[in-house]
Amino acid sequence: MTKRDHLIGAKVMTMRTLALLAVAAVAAVACGGTSSGTTGSTITLGAPLGLTGSLAKESLLTQQGYNLWLDWISSQGGIVVNGVKHPVTIKYYDDTSNANQSAVLMQKLITGDKANFLLGPYGSAATATDAAIAEQNEIPMVEANGAAQSIFNQGYKYTFGVLSPANKYLQGVIDMAATLNPKPTTIAMLSADDNFSLEVADGVNTYATTKGMNVILFKKYKNGSTNLSAEVQAAKAANADIVLNSGHLQEAIAINKAAKEQKVNAKIFAYSVGPSTPDFITALGKDADYVYGGSQWTPQVKYTPAFYLTVAEYVAAYKAKYPGRGDPDYHVAESTAACLALQRAIENAGSLDPKKVRDALAALDVTVFFGQLKFDSRGLNVYKPMVVEQIQNGEHHTVFPDNVADAKPKYPTPAWDQR
Amino acid sequence: MIATADSNRRWRRIFLIVGAIVAAYALLAPLTSLDAVQSANVPLLADKFWFRIATFIVMFIVMATAWNIIGGITGYAAFGNVAFFGIGAYTTGMLVAKAKWPFLVALPLAPVVAALFAALIGLPLLRLRGHYFAVASLGVGVAVGELVQNIDYGGQPVFGGASGLFLPIYAVDNRGLFFFYLMAAAAAISIAVTWWVLRNRFGYGLIAIRENEEAAAVLGVNTTAYKVAAFALSAALTGLAGGIFSQWNVFINQDNAFPIEYNVQMILMALLGGAGTIFGPAAGAVLLQLLIQFLGGTLPISFDLPFVSTDARPIVAQVILGLLLVGVVIFVPRGVIDFFGGRTRLSLSYLRRSLRETSL
Amino acid sequence: MADFVQLVILGLLAGGVYVAVGVGFGLVWGVLNIVNLAHGALVIVGAYLTWQLFTALGLDPFLTLPVDAVALFVLGYALQRGVINRIIRGPLLFTFLLTFGLNLVIINILLLIFGSDFRSVTPAYSGQGLEFGSVVIPYVRLISLGTAILMSAALALMLNRTRIGLAIQAISADRDAAQLVGIDLRHAYAVTFGLGAACAGVAGGLIAMIQAITPTAGEPYTLQAFVVVILGGLGRVSATVVGGLAFGLVEAFGQSIPGSGSVFANAIAFGLMVLVLVTRPQGLMGRLK
Repeated sequence: MTKRDHLIGAKVMTMRTLALLAVAAVAAVACGGTSSGTTGSTITLGAPLGLTGSLAKESLLTQQGYNLWLDWISSQGGIVVNGVKHPVTIKYYDDTSNANQSAVLMQKLITGDKANFLLGPYGSAATATDAAIAEQNEIPMVEANGAAQSIFNQGYKYTFGVLSPANKYLQGVIDMAATLNPKPTTIAMLSADDNFSLEVADGVNTYATTKGMNVILFKKYKNGSTNLSAEVQAAKAANADIVLNSGHLQEAIAINKAAKEQKVNAKIFAYSVGPSTPDFITALGKDADYVYGGSQWTPQVKYTPAFYLTVAEYVAAYKAKYPGRGDPDYHVAESTAACLALQRAIENAGSLDPKKVRDALAALDVTVFFGQLKFDSRGLNVYKPMVVEQIQNGEHHTVFPDNVADAKPKYPTPAWDQR
Repeated sequence: MIATADSNRRWRRIFLIVGAIVAAYALLAPLTSLDAVQSANVPLLADKFWFRIATFIVMFIVMATAWNIIGGITGYAAFGNVAFFGIGAYTTGMLVAKAKWPFLVALPLAPVVAALFAALIGLPLLRLRGHYFAVASLGVGVAVGELVQNIDYGGQPVFGGASGLFLPIYAVDNRGLFFFYLMAAAAAISIAVTWWVLRNRFGYGLIAIRENEEAAAVLGVNTTAYKVAAFALSAALTGLAGGIFSQWNVFINQDNAFPIEYNVQMILMALLGGAGTIFGPAAGAVLLQLLIQFLGGTLPISFDLPFVSTDARPIVAQVILGLLLVGVVIFVPRGVIDFFGGRTRLSLSYLRRSLRETSL
Repeated sequence: MADFVQLVILGLLAGGVYVAVGVGFGLVWGVLNIVNLAHGALVIVGAYLTWQLFTALGLDPFLTLPVDAVALFVLGYALQRGVINRIIRGPLLFTFLLTFGLNLVIINILLLIFGSDFRSVTPAYSGQGLEFGSVVIPYVRLISLGTAILMSAALALMLNRTRIGLAIQAISADRDAAQLVGIDLRHAYAVTFGLGAACAGVAGGLIAMIQAITPTAGEPYTLQAFVVVILGGLGRVSATVVGGLAFGLVEAFGQSIPGSGSVFANAIAFGLMVLVLVTRPQGLMGRLK
């Protein structure tokens, strides 16, 4: 039910009615735009996404997040700039999960489609490539799916990330573990060898000692590995209280399967990416229980939004648009949040000028359903906390920090043969 | 596989004229983006997107033409040339990002390092034939990327590690134009090298190796030296493309400097255009990239798929791409340059004949 | 010591999957001279079949393996007869390109049908296993290894004892002579490719149990199949079994390299493969023809 987005002929663009939310059909003529009362020119946003290829799943979640916001802003009539409502359209291209093609498409969006502003692709590699394109064209890009800090250490001025940086992903788990009784003290850390995962792992390695814990095992493995039984065996031999994985959904599932097979009975199993997606539970069934995950956002968080939907409304809107897919996971939420940051910055700037919107993004400080949106001098959102969730009886529950938690952590994790 | 010279001259001339017009347009269009030309009210024929995609396509012209030297002319199915692309990219990348060399000083080292590496691994690898060489070179391609990403020294990644390398954005006026012409120069060099090889004792030796290696050796061709030289030449040109790519793209890591799928793409382009010929790989590169971009919906000319939802469209586009590849391999096994090279014309009987030649 | 034994066992068990993936790939390569880049995609077709039968009908995943084998045999037979046979006399690289195109088609059709969600088959006994002190042998992986070896043995038996098997071997030795003695090449080629696809299907069924699958999950397996087949030696089923188990062990022990862990697993495996190719082109177990 997304929009059809073909350029037919020269520059006439048609939008199809968004039937689901019964939005009025808007026929917009690109370049110049129509003028009826307070309707301004159409604001075009653009994003290259890996709609096919190895990142198809995560890219789809990203697109869902963008589209949820698009439906809402369209139902409002558009973004208000100095009292004039500007309708919004988002143009997507498939980069086939290839970072080099992503760069081609970014330039196409900027030059060919005259995108006013850019939304990020999925993944740190594509985000890093696209950040350089945004910088050279001086068009702001707000991204929600590239958490590696290396992207933000280049002095780029036009890239903003709404999500908490990689090194924070598992620090919440460490914080939580420090409050538990009996307190776990030893950590076995497994990590994929991509930049995002290694930054997550480094975050743990430096942070754990400050909480009186020791990383007694650190193992890197190949990104995308499906057989991690040897790594899990090493974790078992180390007999650590906490088994952490910093990787992706595929590796998280592989590690959990191997942990059961080899009867690794740690007190805590926590994975950076994976547990928050519904796929983790459907793939593993009961074995998914008790697993913790570091999460950017959960449906249980309690923030008071300055605009857009509340957390509960957001969850309901997602379920209405994408029925049968469970709760939205944090990939969806952070992608929506990127749109919100951009929207508020455009409103604050009172202009569609890319430089003014960039400055407004840099000065942004607003809280939405996703949490606080505010960027440091590098363009990173270091202000929003990460939360910890745990799967209990096949459902996600937020267990840390206490002020947003809806359940207590079930601790320690029972041995595999006592479940 | 090779278009011979005894061809219908008329068709050959048409092909050359069309090709020359396309090339001339592509080479002159960038000039319209210069301020001086713009102020003279000349229409803009090359915007930033034009530059991005044209440079990208020309990059593939270099890679496909370079592959042709070892794969098409010598007949050794190299399947790991992307290693040389990555080595070139990382050579320039390291010198610019870490050693702070000026880009144009660092660039010449990219082909040198790539060629040295090719010569080194070529000595053992080129003793293998057929599939075995293909697979071994593929192994080298995969292994080099992995090593570059993961080699540590004293706990610090040597080549930028998983974070990759960020080069400073190159400070030059008309950046798009600069990189396009640089890449086009690389393409011109590779085509000139191919032309030179094919008109030389060296090239005759390589063709002899392709047709019958034992016989070539008997005739006094130093097969080992010839093969290694061809491999190194191919690597040098591919490495040159990689070196330009690293500064042009600003960011390199294992994903974008060692993409395994480029191994297949460059071969596909060479075969599509006509392996063993001078201009075939270049024509194939342009055609295949335009096809990929067309199906991806990025070209000014677009198309609508009936009965396909928006969500499914990119997926269906990939299915179509796959089917087209299958169709081309089955029906046009000698490459499209055959049609233009004057050897034959596209007709039903041509398709039937090519089918019969390769079928069981 | 127990850790060492455990590691060896884990390596061998993981090797079972590589054996299953490798035999079909090696058969098609050795006999038909086709490097099938779509092999991994066929594996995943089998994986989705098992997943579908397990989820929709509640069938035990091991019972779905024969279904995978039959379905993939039919698919493979049709592909070879209808498509690949058309270019089999063309130069070597054509099969690369053709199967690359097929790979793209199969993966994206799977994406259309099943979407990009991660799926896995987790039967009730998943994660159970035999225990000897601290050494564990998970049932699923043990039976997978058994299945892989059984399948290889059946394939070897078939090649050596049945009419069509002997015909396939004759083709592998000399195609034109085989045709002269009256072997129907088109059919025999299609049967060979079908058998390779059937092995891929079974491998897919096993893979659905031990990892999460997506339409693109097969691509690493195509790469690994290269290594497995070359390590053992092209042209003999038993050699592929050795190659697969060796690959599993390399992977398991690669993990214990201090500092780097298993990140160099591919580099080591491919490096080993190149070494084997250069020094012993016939493979660890192969005989020179």
